[in-house]
Amino acid sequence: MADSDEEYAGEVSEDEVDGSQISSRGGAAQPPRSKRKKNRGGAEWEVSRTWESLVEGADGTINSTVEGLLEAGKRKRLLRDTTPLQRGIIRHLILVLDLSHSMAEKDLRPTRYLLSLRYAQEFVREFFEQNPISQLGVLGLRDGLAVRVSDMSGNPTEHISAIQALREHDPKGLPSLQNGLEMARGALFHTPTHGTREVLIIFGSLLSSDPGDIHHTIATLVSEKIRVGIVGLAAQVAICRELCSKTNHGDDTTYGVALNEQHFRELVMGVTTPPTTFSQRQSASSLLMMGFPSRAVEAHPSLCACHSNPSCGGYSCSRCNSKVCGLPAECPSCSLTLILSTHLARSYHHLFPLMNWVEVPWARASRSLACFACGITFPPVPPRDQWQAADVQSRGMSVSSRYECTVCRNNFCIDCDLFAHEVVHNCPGCQSETTSSTTPGLVQVTDRMDTSA
Amino acid sequence: MNTIDATEHYSTSAHDRPPSLLTVILDTNPHAWAQLSSQSALPLSTAVANILVFLNAHLACNYANEVAVVASHTQKATWLYPVAAAAAADPNQPPGDKDGDTPMLPQTQNRPPPPHEMNKYRPFRIVEEQVTQNLHRLLGGTTADDLSATTSTLMAGALTLALSHINRRTIAWAEAHGGETDPNAHANNNNTTTSTNTAGGGAAAAASGGDKASTESGLQSRILILSVSSATGAAHQYIPIMNAIFACQRLQIPIDVCKLAGDAVFLQQAADATKGVYMALAEPRGLLQYLMMAFLPDQRSRRHLILPTRVDVDFRAACFCHRRVVDIGFVCSICLSIFCEPLEKGECLTCGSVLEMGDYGAKPAVVARKKKKKKVRGPGNGASATPTPTPTPGP
Repeated sequence: MADSDEEYAGEVSEDEVDGSQISSRGGAAQPPRSKRKKNRGGAEWEVSRTWESLVEGADGTINSTVEGLLEAGKRKRLLRDTTPLQRGIIRHLILVLDLSHSMAEKDLRPTRYLLSLRYAQEFVREFFEQNPISQLGVLGLRDGLAVRVSDMSGNPTEHISAIQALREHDPKGLPSLQNGLEMARGALFHTPTHGTREVLIIFGSLLSSDPGDIHHTIATLVSEKIRVGIVGLAAQVAICRELCSKTNHGDDTTYGVALNEQHFRELVMGVTTPPTTFSQRQSASSLLMMGFPSRAVEAHPSLCACHSNPSCGGYSCSRCNSKVCGLPAECPSCSLTLILSTHLARSYHHLFPLMNWVEVPWARASRSLACFACGITFPPVPPRDQWQAADVQSRGMSVSSRYECTVCRNNFCIDCDLFAHEVVHNCPGCQSETTSSTTPGLVQVTDRMDTSA
Repeated sequence: MNTIDATEHYSTSAHDRPPSLLTVILDTNPHAWAQLSSQSALPLSTAVANILVFLNAHLACNYANEVAVVASHTQKATWLYPVAAAAAADPNQPPGDKDGDTPMLPQTQNRPPPPHEMNKYRPFRIVEEQVTQNLHRLLGGTTADDLSATTSTLMAGALTLALSHINRRTIAWAEAHGGETDPNAHANNNNTTTSTNTAGGGAAAAASGGDKASTESGLQSRILILSVSSATGAAHQYIPIMNAIFACQRLQIPIDVCKLAGDAVFLQQAADATKGVYMALAEPRGLLQYLMMAFLPDQRSRRHLILPTRVDVDFRAACFCHRRVVDIGFVCSICLSIFCEPLEKGECLTCGSVLEMGDYGAKPAVVARKKKKKKVRGPGNGASATPTPTPTPGP
């Protein structure tokens, strides 16, 4: 396996040298070919020699190393900054889908087009899961035009069915970033200032055929405080990077190019986390009027004001008493935002994130035999002279497979670590003991939270 | 890859029902139990005996079914079964001691069962012994100071522990049965197998297998909360409990609530959000019957049953400033605190950020303008003396 991989890597690099020579000698002769080579060459540094980092264990197998790498991979996703940052919880986001012919490529299975539609649907679902009081709209880039797929609204099913309807069409023509951005700008123009204004573009092409100067558009986006994030499917494009960095205060991490299907999904899903707020935008916060309706159950079905569907249950608007069938929603007649208190609670874990847990060295590992939460037994502590042998293979991984919460000092396994940070957002240890162990910041806030009971 | 092998399908269809894991969270708050046993003559010991019968019934439904019991006490939440230190006692967990050698087993197993329990089904006996033993240890370790310190119960911790265990068992089950924990990875896998499979029949079989797997495969887990404490005191756990509820919602784990006494808003919301059963028992002495009738069916059977549910779930929000229950509230866009009236200084009471009051400060002005208009129109209408809208006369 390793041999063939090496050969392959060698080939690529030779090819790359070839390509760059051609382009330097006579670029005009074969412009498309050399351009493509260059683009591919841009990703060459990403080829890392993963097989060289494998070390045989004492028993002659690489099991331990592979397990270690797996664990490190799991852990890598977790190690993010857990400072409780101020985040834009109320978001207004326009999702722009590339529907041009470059999306018909099959380098992502089944095609870029179908895969991005599927991920777009998942994105919509997850977006409203994470940001229940936010608004979303969907646009498409096709034939040099920007096409409206679905309007700004807070109802996920509308967007999902609109995206699903796109499946029947084929990707066609060239994309125009400028047209898409202008249309997104129009859609975000009247959004209130307390929310964020964001654009997420899933972009499969390497070009943009624009009617005017895109730099003017970028300048207006910056002045209107619209942030753009792009997920590229082919290769890095200079204008995309510039667009992202200019609209995000010089931070271009919102531009990512998908390496494979999994990475594509991660990039798209990463956007569902509310973005951090920059200090200069603090004045934009405001007090929002919201209705907390109670659920009504009727003996006979009546029509709801939002879809005109007959139903027995529903929620009546606290201001005008019109019936809506689902929450969160905006009252169709008086446009009051209607939510449940649970929807607000859904966003709290963004505001009060769970602290990262720290690795436990062998020296402290003897305190625990099993994971506090799930009871799986930890590997036993080896004799002191072997402590150095099991060297740290990669950053963020614990040699003893134990991870410790810094607050309650309990040890957990990697699976519980992942689960606690990604799904539950609770520390099993801190919650299982009396409240004195919770973080001081949280206590302060929770003292006030209790009133929602 | 493995879908090409046809035997795989037969073997999966042969064992038709994936097992289910029932996690019982027992609220052992001594204050609440003391109150309950004095009121309705259901002491904790009787309740525990009933619960054990219920657990046995669950174990008897399917040979691979599993149970777990967590105690939510006043000062800590802890496992009653399976216990972490005696992890080897769990018959499903370690693949290493299948041979059942006596030296491998911890002391609880080592001891021969009392003669009258010789013929008891082994899983029943293990659960019973461990639960009663650990419960004794927990209650014995509770001091008077612990009790005077707090009257609430650590429901959030118990829920988090239960979820961690469910997560662990789901991973273990998926590994043992070749399933995949990540639904997305599963979908991808299905796609690739169907596209690489050239034989039509094979592709169809793979597709149908995939469909079935997505709905039926995996360990089915559910949580049953036996709650006796009231909501008071659980308030500081609001965020953790809500986090746990959302995690259950995401993992499609129903939370069933059997309320023996008191009433807790959180638990109503938990059962409602996760499509579980919420029952407040009118007659706590009939606990076993309630358990058997309402809480024994697993998710698959529940699709065919009409379940006891509660429609009037309390979703009220209370403001953070005066603790009034509000219909229309004002929400800080930064920290999402709820207030019952526009703030005077425009400063959020929780996070201290300065809030723009624009819309609500402007409200009186709107009313004033309307008044002006009425005043202007007033005399004109009065002159015509008829309320009917007449256009201004032409001539």
